[in-house]
Amino acid sequence: MMEREFVCIICPNGCRIKVEYEGINIKSIKGDECPKGKDYVKNEITNPLRVFTGSVLVGNGDFSLASVKTSVPIPKKYLKKIGEITRQLKVESPIKIGQVLASNLLDNNIDLIATRKIIEKNL
Amino acid sequence: MPEKEVIIIGGGAAGLAAAVACKQKGIEDILIIERGDYLGGILQQCIHDGFGLEKFHTSLAGPEYAQRYIDQVKEKEIPFLLNSMVVNLTPQKEVVVINYKGLQHYRAKVIILAMGCRERTRGAINIPGARASGIYTAGVAQELINLKNYMVGEKIVILGSGDIGLIMARRLSLEGVEVIMVAEKLPYSSGLPRNINQCLYDFDIPLLLSHTVVDIEGNGRLSGVTIAQLGKRGGIIPGSKRKITCDTLLLSVGLIPENELSREAGIVLDNITGGPQVDERGQTSVSGIFTCGNVLQVHDIVDNVSLEAEYIVEGVVEYLEGKLNKEGEINVELGKGLRYVVPQRLNRIKDTIFSFRVNQPGEKEVLVFEDGKKVIKKKFLRRVNPAEMIRVKLSSLELEGIKTLKVKLV
Amino acid sequence: MKATNNYYDMVIIGGGVVGCAVARELSKYKVNVAVLEKEDDVGWGISCRNSGVVHAGFNNKPGTLMAQFCIEGNKSFAEFCHQLDVPYKKIGKVVVARKKEEIKGLKELKIQGDKNQVAGLKIIDSEELKRLEPNIEGIAALYSPETAITSPCLLTIALAENALDNGVSFFLNAEVESITRLNNSCFKIITNKREFTSSYVINSAGLYADYIARMVGIRKYHLYPCRGEYHILDKNVSWLINHLVYPVPQVGAGGLGIHLTPTIDGNILIGPSNEYIKSKDNLSVTSSVMKMLSSEARKFLPIISPGYIIRSYSGLRAKQAPSSEGGFWDFVIEESDTVDNFINLIGIESPGLTAAQPIAKRVVEIIKKKGRLNSNPSFNPFRKGILRFEEQDEEIKKTLIKQDPDYGEIVCRCEKITKKEILEVANNPLGARSLISIKYRTRAMMGRCQGGYCLPRIIEILREDFNLAPREITLKGKNSYLLTGYRSNEVSKSCQKKKLLSLEEELRV
Repeated sequence: MMEREFVCIICPNGCRIKVEYEGINIKSIKGDECPKGKDYVKNEITNPLRVFTGSVLVGNGDFSLASVKTSVPIPKKYLKKIGEITRQLKVESPIKIGQVLASNLLDNNIDLIATRKIIEKNL
Repeated sequence: MPEKEVIIIGGGAAGLAAAVACKQKGIEDILIIERGDYLGGILQQCIHDGFGLEKFHTSLAGPEYAQRYIDQVKEKEIPFLLNSMVVNLTPQKEVVVINYKGLQHYRAKVIILAMGCRERTRGAINIPGARASGIYTAGVAQELINLKNYMVGEKIVILGSGDIGLIMARRLSLEGVEVIMVAEKLPYSSGLPRNINQCLYDFDIPLLLSHTVVDIEGNGRLSGVTIAQLGKRGGIIPGSKRKITCDTLLLSVGLIPENELSREAGIVLDNITGGPQVDERGQTSVSGIFTCGNVLQVHDIVDNVSLEAEYIVEGVVEYLEGKLNKEGEINVELGKGLRYVVPQRLNRIKDTIFSFRVNQPGEKEVLVFEDGKKVIKKKFLRRVNPAEMIRVKLSSLELEGIKTLKVKLV
Repeated sequence: MKATNNYYDMVIIGGGVVGCAVARELSKYKVNVAVLEKEDDVGWGISCRNSGVVHAGFNNKPGTLMAQFCIEGNKSFAEFCHQLDVPYKKIGKVVVARKKEEIKGLKELKIQGDKNQVAGLKIIDSEELKRLEPNIEGIAALYSPETAITSPCLLTIALAENALDNGVSFFLNAEVESITRLNNSCFKIITNKREFTSSYVINSAGLYADYIARMVGIRKYHLYPCRGEYHILDKNVSWLINHLVYPVPQVGAGGLGIHLTPTIDGNILIGPSNEYIKSKDNLSVTSSVMKMLSSEARKFLPIISPGYIIRSYSGLRAKQAPSSEGGFWDFVIEESDTVDNFINLIGIESPGLTAAQPIAKRVVEIIKKKGRLNSNPSFNPFRKGILRFEEQDEEIKKTLIKQDPDYGEIVCRCEKITKKEILEVANNPLGARSLISIKYRTRAMMGRCQGGYCLPRIIEILREDFNLAPREITLKGKNSYLLTGYRSNEVSKSCQKKKLLSLEEELRV
């Protein structure tokens, strides 16, 4: 039986919620003050999602790297693998913020979108 | 000598927001002077998300947040200089700027200081041991990785659980590098709880509270560090020393507002914040020199930097219109429980946002503003933490007629 | 002068301030000289890591070489620095007594100084001390107007560059492994890089001089490493003192006591401590000593606070006196009585810097006694260092930037060092390209941010302008690499692009 205290991040209250769980089965939740908090910790135990952020190489840009993020939060367990893939990527400038730089990664509908604007600068 | 209405030193979050606010309020003759070769300052290397939750109600990566302001600067055609270093500032509001085109003097009616901050170094905290390579402050490592495409090491120990250290723990893990641990000399972390979750817990990186680095080994490149546990009074607990094999040590041990120019201009600084002492308009002790952002006080959330910049621009406008009356300045007195308060001086004429930090973490505290025995305002704070800046607004009505002001925690 | 078959008339082992001074002295003659230095640059043993003081000579026992060479060196130091374009400032020293018992010590120093014919020494009272040093606490002091400060590192580098310019060959990263005598009575010197032969060997290997001497069977020298740790204070507090401030030395101590030294660059040093250690390589700083330095300094200057310290470092002394004895043994500067033409320079500690040129001249005299040395008519005593942008006045700065825009890019914000200066020193004639080499030649990374702003920029310069691969960029040569490589597996050309200087929209500026 595992016990863990989460700091809920849904609203600035930052409730401390204690959860007892085994694997992905939740035994008890204490300290939540609204249903959002309960949902948050439930998700954290059963299916935590995260936004991945990283960088890809850019050719001929005013920056050497374009910072990227996944368009939606993805299962936490994919973070490292997406990181590995991102390191292999290379794109060309110019790049707009929000532009999709890689799509359907891991065959799981995971897209990487640009978070830095890159202007073309020819050498 | 060319004269401007407003010169903004620094083109990062604070400088950009101040520039846009100035333009929006009708000031035309603005110049942003930025030493780097891009606008956006530190935001450009903060490629993680979580920025803009308050301002834009969405979670943005640092460069995205910066671009929102950069786009406005370009749309509004606000002039800016890149690769230009301000090397001198006088109390007469003259600056000397050096760039590859030459050395140039400028004068301005108003100067807005927005230079940001630098990191505390190993030398400044006296970590003993060898002088090995592979020791970086977290921000430098962040720049090398996120902007220059370098990798700094393979087995990392991080000292300092402030947000920058935590962010780098996650960054390095995502980049496929081993982060052995994060050590923190205080008994609590100085980072946001969200970051402890998502940067350490997510990657199984242990956080060792009340621990610090007491020795460094390495003949050329770092080969290891010794950590030790600290007791209640900060002394090393005997027998607690442990050697950790690693090749990189990242230091995230504090930020220091970069006020060398302010010092040269004779601006009075606050010893605790490290930034200029200001009134509620963000004006420093030198008339016509205003300041905002990390150079004034180290912020945790960039949204507050933008809000602070917009707020002090109101003062800039008043100053340019000759409407900056001082009804009699009073000093804001710091009571117990608080580390610092900004602004340090008050003219009681407008709604004022007070920013401060507490000394210790705590729960269910009450913040009290009082004038002598009279309580002006009370605010209930559910949870307080030195790592989280607190901002409270007092209206001009609430401040009217007060003779003194003291802020304290009860 | 390039030698054939790696034969040199003289091989100098050790490129410290003394070794380089000897090299320069010898280059005044028509001889082939090589300097072998085991580190990545000159001066990294003892020379670059001391207080940089040009002593007046009252600390040394009359009749010793230390006293004689200190006085001689002090008198000609200004001219020495002028020729080599090395900074020098005669700021004077006060040796401060805080207790009545110490006044006797002051008087003894004055007597010793008078015997050595040190100029201008006088004992002053607390009032005059207050006038000279308003922030220092003391009841009396010995005032020495002839004491000066310099940059020991820039001096070592300047000596090496001038010697190089005058025909001396320098071999860095060359560690001597063995020395044997050949049939023709030449020496064969084997290093980790290659072999050399020479007629003379000048052993100026600092801490390792005993070790080198042992290679030819000379066992009588022992050198004990004695570590001195320092704090460096922020330039913002350089107003605290005007002169060198020393305590009254304790009899039998291995050093001159913890003092406060204004450096030629405008910082203040606190130190050095005095600790015999085991390893000749150990340049660590220790927590107990760092604390002790701060508290000792506060005895003189109560207003010193930890916030003023920007960095700490340590240096090593090569002491002949074992720790049980302490104190100073005189310089040993002599041809070996068992091995012909092998000249040993042993135990060069304070006032070694001040005495560097006189020591070098003595070495030349020793060689001259053995055989004629013909003058080198093309010897040029003058060496010009790089132009320091920050020291120029505004009109010159404007002209410089116009001629070379690299002067317009400030790379080190704290010390205001430009890209041009970084480029120039990274291109130095010795070929030393580590970060420390750049740091010692420009002061980049020596400011309060300790490289926070300039380090990534210097890395880019080394990569772009000198084509160093990431792994080749080192802190101090050998395996002190900074980066493990590129972050991503694919290295694109964009990572190797030249940084584009753009001023962007000057619009209606």
